[in-house]
Amino acid sequence: MIVADRKSLDEIQEMIKDYKKILLVGCKGCVTVCNVGGMKEVQVLSSILKIARKKEGRELQVEERTIERQCDFEYVEQLRADCDRFDAILSMACGVGPQFLAEAFPSQKIYPALDTKFFGGAVQHGIWEERCAGCGTCVIHFYDSLCPIARCAKSLQHGPCGGSANGKCEISEDVDCIWDIIVRKKMEQERLEDLRTYRAFKDWRSARDGGPRKSIREELVQ
Amino acid sequence: MNETFEPQIVAYCCNYCAYAAADLAGSMRLSYPSNVKVIQVPCTGRVDILYLLRAIEDGADGIYVAG
Repeated sequence: MIVADRKSLDEIQEMIKDYKKILLVGCKGCVTVCNVGGMKEVQVLSSILKIARKKEGRELQVEERTIERQCDFEYVEQLRADCDRFDAILSMACGVGPQFLAEAFPSQKIYPALDTKFFGGAVQHGIWEERCAGCGTCVIHFYDSLCPIARCAKSLQHGPCGGSANGKCEISEDVDCIWDIIVRKKMEQERLEDLRTYRAFKDWRSARDGGPRKSIREELVQ
Repeated sequence: MNETFEPQIVAYCCNYCAYAAADLAGSMRLSYPSNVKVIQVPCTGRVDILYLLRAIEDGADGIYVAG
Protein backbone atom coordinates (compact mmCIF):
# COMPACT_ATOMS: atom_id res chain seq x y z
CA MET A 1 0.00 0.00 0.00
CA ILE A 2 0.97 3.66 -0.16
CA VAL A 3 2.15 4.70 3.30
CA ALA A 4 1.76 8.24 4.56
CA ASP A 5 2.12 10.28 7.75
CA ARG A 6 -0.04 13.16 8.81
CA LYS A 7 1.49 16.59 8.47
CA SER A 8 2.11 18.49 11.69
CA LEU A 9 -0.84 20.37 13.10
CA ASP A 10 1.11 23.64 12.73
CA GLU A 11 1.60 23.04 9.03
CA ILE A 12 -2.05 22.15 8.44
CA GLN A 13 -3.24 25.13 10.47
CA GLU A 14 -0.99 27.45 8.48
CA MET A 15 -2.46 26.14 5.21
CA ILE A 16 -6.05 26.74 6.26
CA LYS A 17 -5.59 29.80 8.48
CA ASP A 18 -7.58 32.13 6.20
CA TYR A 19 -10.57 29.83 5.83
CA LYS A 20 -13.69 29.55 7.95
CA LYS A 21 -15.37 26.59 6.37
CA ILE A 22 -13.48 23.61 5.04
CA LEU A 23 -14.32 20.20 3.67
CA LEU A 24 -12.08 17.52 5.14
CA VAL A 25 -11.96 14.51 2.85
CA GLY A 26 -10.65 11.10 3.82
CA CYS A 27 -9.94 8.12 1.61
CA LYS A 28 -10.92 4.51 2.26
CA GLY A 29 -7.92 3.19 0.34
CA CYS A 30 -4.31 2.79 1.46
CA VAL A 31 -4.38 5.64 3.99
CA THR A 32 -7.24 3.98 5.86
CA VAL A 33 -5.20 0.80 6.10
CA CYS A 34 -2.16 2.65 7.42
CA ASN A 35 -4.36 4.53 9.91
CA VAL A 36 -3.66 8.02 8.71
CA GLY A 37 -6.43 9.20 6.41
CA GLY A 38 -9.56 7.12 6.92
CA MET A 39 -12.89 8.02 8.48
CA LYS A 40 -11.51 7.82 12.02
CA GLU A 41 -8.52 10.05 11.29
CA VAL A 42 -10.80 12.53 9.51
CA GLN A 43 -12.98 12.77 12.63
CA VAL A 44 -9.95 13.20 14.88
CA LEU A 45 -8.28 15.86 12.72
CA SER A 46 -11.57 17.70 12.33
CA SER A 47 -12.01 17.85 16.08
CA ILE A 48 -8.40 18.89 16.69
CA LEU A 49 -8.60 21.69 14.10
CA LYS A 50 -11.83 22.99 15.59
CA ILE A 51 -10.39 22.97 19.12
CA ALA A 52 -7.20 24.68 17.91
CA ARG A 53 -9.19 27.37 16.10
CA LYS A 54 -11.39 27.86 19.16
CA LYS A 55 -8.27 28.51 21.23
CA GLU A 56 -7.46 31.35 18.83
CA GLY A 57 -10.91 32.78 19.51
CA ARG A 58 -12.10 32.09 15.99
CA GLU A 59 -14.50 29.57 14.59
CA LEU A 60 -13.79 26.86 12.06
CA GLN A 61 -16.53 24.84 10.42
CA VAL A 62 -15.41 21.47 9.19
CA GLU A 63 -17.52 19.02 7.25
CA GLU A 64 -16.21 15.48 7.20
CA ARG A 65 -16.44 13.15 4.22
CA THR A 66 -14.62 9.93 3.50
CA ILE A 67 -14.91 8.57 0.00
CA GLU A 68 -14.06 5.13 -1.36
CA ARG A 69 -10.92 6.34 -3.14
CA GLN A 70 -9.64 9.77 -4.04
CA CYS A 71 -7.63 8.32 -6.93
CA ASP A 72 -10.74 7.58 -9.01
CA PHE A 73 -12.78 10.37 -10.58
CA GLU A 74 -15.98 8.31 -10.15
CA TYR A 75 -15.68 8.65 -6.39
CA VAL A 76 -14.31 12.20 -6.44
CA GLU A 77 -17.48 13.19 -8.35
CA GLN A 78 -19.49 12.46 -5.21
CA LEU A 79 -18.08 15.69 -3.76
CA ARG A 80 -19.08 17.90 -6.66
CA ALA A 81 -22.51 18.87 -5.39
CA ASP A 82 -21.09 20.17 -2.11
CA CYS A 83 -17.61 21.40 -2.88
CA ASP A 84 -18.59 25.00 -3.68
CA ARG A 85 -20.04 25.48 -0.21
CA PHE A 86 -16.54 25.49 1.28
CA ASP A 87 -13.67 27.95 1.35
CA ALA A 88 -11.18 25.12 0.78
CA ILE A 89 -10.81 21.35 0.72
CA LEU A 90 -8.29 19.54 2.89
CA SER A 91 -7.45 16.07 1.61
CA MET A 92 -6.35 13.24 3.87
CA ALA A 93 -5.32 10.99 0.98
CA CYS A 94 -1.87 10.27 -0.42
CA GLY A 95 -0.43 12.83 -2.86
CA VAL A 96 -2.66 11.47 -5.60
CA GLY A 97 -5.87 12.52 -3.83
CA PRO A 98 -5.37 16.31 -3.69
CA GLN A 99 -4.27 16.27 -7.32
CA PHE A 100 -7.38 14.41 -8.47
CA LEU A 101 -9.50 16.82 -6.44
CA ALA A 102 -7.64 19.78 -7.97
CA GLU A 103 -8.26 18.41 -11.46
CA ALA A 104 -11.93 17.69 -10.77
CA PHE A 105 -12.63 21.03 -9.08
CA PRO A 106 -10.28 23.56 -10.72
CA SER A 107 -11.89 26.60 -9.07
CA GLN A 108 -11.58 25.19 -5.55
CA LYS A 109 -8.53 25.47 -3.29
CA ILE A 110 -7.17 22.04 -2.34
CA TYR A 111 -4.60 21.28 0.38
CA PRO A 112 -2.88 18.05 1.45
CA ALA A 113 -3.02 17.00 5.10
CA LEU A 114 -0.60 14.10 4.66
CA ASP A 115 3.02 13.56 3.74
CA THR A 116 3.12 10.59 1.37
CA LYS A 117 6.08 8.37 2.18
CA PHE A 118 6.49 5.13 0.25
CA PHE A 119 5.07 1.82 -1.00
CA GLY A 120 5.32 -0.60 1.85
CA GLY A 121 3.63 -2.77 4.40
CA ALA A 122 3.10 -3.14 8.12
CA VAL A 123 5.92 -5.18 9.68
CA GLN A 124 4.21 -4.94 13.04
CA HIS A 125 1.27 -3.00 14.42
CA GLY A 126 2.10 0.68 13.97
CA ILE A 127 5.33 0.18 12.02
CA TRP A 128 5.47 0.33 8.23
CA GLU A 129 8.52 -0.28 6.08
CA GLU A 130 9.35 0.47 2.47
CA ARG A 131 9.36 -2.53 0.16
CA CYS A 132 8.91 -1.18 -3.36
CA ALA A 133 10.37 1.82 -5.18
CA GLY A 134 7.93 1.61 -8.09
CA CYS A 135 10.83 1.57 -10.55
CA GLY A 136 8.59 0.17 -13.28
CA THR A 137 10.70 -2.86 -14.21
CA CYS A 138 10.65 -5.39 -11.40
CA VAL A 139 13.89 -7.30 -10.89
CA ILE A 140 13.25 -8.95 -7.54
CA HIS A 141 13.14 -12.42 -9.09
CA PHE A 142 16.94 -12.14 -9.34
CA TYR A 143 17.16 -11.60 -5.60
CA ASP A 144 14.72 -14.10 -4.10
CA SER A 145 11.98 -11.49 -3.97
CA LEU A 146 13.99 -9.09 -1.86
CA CYS A 147 14.27 -5.71 -3.52
CA PRO A 148 17.68 -4.02 -3.50
CA ILE A 149 16.27 -1.05 -5.44
CA ALA A 150 13.94 -0.09 -2.61
CA ARG A 151 15.80 -1.51 0.34
CA CYS A 152 19.46 -0.75 -0.36
CA ALA A 153 20.29 2.90 0.39
CA LYS A 154 22.30 2.99 -2.85
CA SER A 155 19.97 0.70 -4.84
CA LEU A 156 22.98 -1.52 -5.60
CA GLN A 157 22.18 -4.49 -7.81
CA HIS A 158 25.45 -6.44 -7.70
CA GLY A 159 26.20 -6.99 -4.04
CA PRO A 160 26.76 -5.02 -0.85
CA CYS A 161 28.95 -1.96 -0.56
CA GLY A 162 31.70 -1.45 2.02
CA GLY A 163 29.21 0.15 4.37
CA SER A 164 27.57 -3.16 5.24
CA ALA A 165 28.57 -4.31 8.72
CA ASN A 166 27.03 -6.98 10.94
CA GLY A 167 23.95 -7.11 8.77
CA LYS A 168 23.29 -3.40 9.08
CA CYS A 169 23.53 -0.53 6.61
CA GLU A 170 25.97 2.28 7.30
CA ILE A 171 23.22 4.87 7.16
CA SER A 172 21.62 3.64 10.39
CA GLU A 173 21.77 0.87 12.94
CA ASP A 174 18.02 0.56 12.42
CA VAL A 175 18.33 -0.29 8.74
CA ASP A 176 19.09 -3.84 7.68
CA CYS A 177 21.54 -4.29 4.82
CA ILE A 178 19.30 -5.95 2.26
CA TRP A 179 22.35 -7.37 0.51
CA ASP A 180 23.35 -9.14 3.71
CA ILE A 181 19.88 -10.71 3.76
CA ILE A 182 19.96 -11.59 0.06
CA VAL A 183 23.40 -13.25 0.30
CA ARG A 184 22.50 -15.16 3.44
CA LYS A 185 19.32 -16.47 1.85
CA LYS A 186 21.17 -17.51 -1.30
CA MET A 187 23.77 -19.31 0.86
CA GLU A 188 21.10 -21.07 2.92
CA GLN A 189 19.43 -22.27 -0.24
CA GLU A 190 22.84 -23.11 -1.77
CA ARG A 191 22.14 -20.87 -4.73
CA LEU A 192 24.87 -18.28 -4.22
CA GLU A 193 26.05 -18.94 -7.79
CA ASP A 194 22.92 -17.11 -9.00
CA LEU A 195 24.59 -13.86 -8.02
CA ARG A 196 27.45 -14.48 -10.46
CA THR A 197 25.08 -14.14 -13.39
CA TYR A 198 25.88 -11.19 -15.64
CA ARG A 199 22.83 -9.07 -16.29
CA ALA A 200 22.14 -6.24 -18.64
CA PHE A 201 21.87 -2.73 -17.25
CA LYS A 202 18.57 -2.05 -15.62
CA ASP A 203 16.42 0.16 -17.79
CA TRP A 204 15.71 3.17 -15.60
CA ARG A 205 13.53 4.83 -18.20
CA SER A 206 10.57 3.02 -16.67
CA ALA A 207 11.37 4.62 -13.30
CA ARG A 208 11.03 8.32 -12.46
CA ASP A 209 14.13 8.98 -14.59
CA GLY A 210 11.92 8.69 -17.66
CA GLY A 211 9.59 11.43 -16.44
CA PRO A 212 5.96 11.10 -15.33
CA ARG A 213 4.66 7.65 -16.12
CA LYS A 214 1.43 6.31 -17.53
CA SER A 215 -0.02 2.84 -17.77
CA ILE A 216 -2.46 2.05 -20.56
CA ARG A 217 -4.48 -1.15 -20.73
CA GLU A 218 -5.79 -1.25 -24.25
CA GLU A 219 -8.48 -3.79 -23.41
CA LEU A 220 -9.97 -1.47 -20.81
CA VAL A 221 -9.76 1.74 -22.80
CA GLN A 222 -13.05 2.61 -24.48
CA MET B 1 -8.57 32.78 34.57
CA ASN B 2 -10.18 34.23 37.68
CA GLU B 3 -10.32 32.69 41.14
CA THR B 4 -13.89 31.55 40.78
CA PHE B 5 -13.09 29.49 37.70
CA GLU B 6 -14.45 26.01 38.04
CA PRO B 7 -13.46 23.61 35.31
CA GLN B 8 -16.15 21.51 33.71
CA ILE B 9 -15.01 17.92 33.99
CA VAL B 10 -16.44 15.03 32.00
CA ALA B 11 -15.96 11.70 33.72
CA TYR B 12 -16.22 8.53 31.66
CA CYS B 13 -16.95 5.80 34.20
CA CYS B 14 -16.86 2.06 33.72
CA ASN B 15 -20.23 0.43 34.38
CA TYR B 16 -18.67 -2.26 36.53
CA CYS B 17 -16.46 -0.28 38.90
CA ALA B 18 -16.26 3.52 38.82
CA TYR B 19 -19.89 4.02 37.82
CA ALA B 20 -20.99 1.41 40.37
CA ALA B 21 -18.94 3.29 42.97
CA ALA B 22 -20.60 6.57 41.98
CA ASP B 23 -23.97 4.84 42.24
CA LEU B 24 -23.12 3.53 45.68
CA ALA B 25 -21.94 6.99 46.74
CA GLY B 26 -25.34 8.26 45.63
CA SER B 27 -27.12 5.61 47.72
CA MET B 28 -25.02 6.74 50.66
CA ARG B 29 -26.16 10.32 50.03
CA LEU B 30 -22.58 11.44 49.41
CA SER B 31 -22.23 14.43 47.13
CA TYR B 32 -19.70 15.32 44.50
CA PRO B 33 -19.12 18.67 42.75
CA SER B 34 -21.75 19.57 40.19
CA ASN B 35 -19.09 20.51 37.63
CA VAL B 36 -18.22 16.84 37.25
CA LYS B 37 -20.44 15.26 34.63
CA VAL B 38 -20.50 11.49 34.82
CA ILE B 39 -20.98 9.47 31.64
CA GLN B 40 -21.50 5.77 32.00
CA VAL B 41 -19.64 3.55 29.55
CA PRO B 42 -19.94 -0.25 29.34
CA CYS B 43 -16.18 -0.49 29.88
CA THR B 44 -13.37 2.09 29.73
CA GLY B 45 -12.11 0.07 26.78
CA ARG B 46 -15.02 1.68 24.92
CA VAL B 47 -13.56 5.15 25.46
CA ASP B 48 -12.16 6.44 22.21
CA ILE B 49 -9.92 9.41 21.50
CA LEU B 50 -12.94 10.99 19.79
CA TYR B 51 -14.89 10.92 23.07
CA LEU B 52 -12.12 12.98 24.64
CA LEU B 53 -11.78 15.39 21.72
CA ARG B 54 -15.53 15.93 21.26
CA ALA B 55 -15.93 16.66 24.99
CA ILE B 56 -13.19 19.30 24.82
CA GLU B 57 -14.64 20.63 21.56
CA ASP B 58 -18.03 21.06 23.24
CA GLY B 59 -16.63 23.00 26.18
CA ALA B 60 -15.24 20.57 28.74
CA ASP B 61 -12.09 21.81 30.48
CA GLY B 62 -10.91 18.39 31.54
CA ILE B 63 -11.77 14.75 31.28
CA TYR B 64 -11.19 11.80 33.45
CA VAL B 65 -11.53 8.19 32.61
CA ALA B 66 -12.32 6.00 35.59
CA GLY B 67 -12.38 2.25 35.41
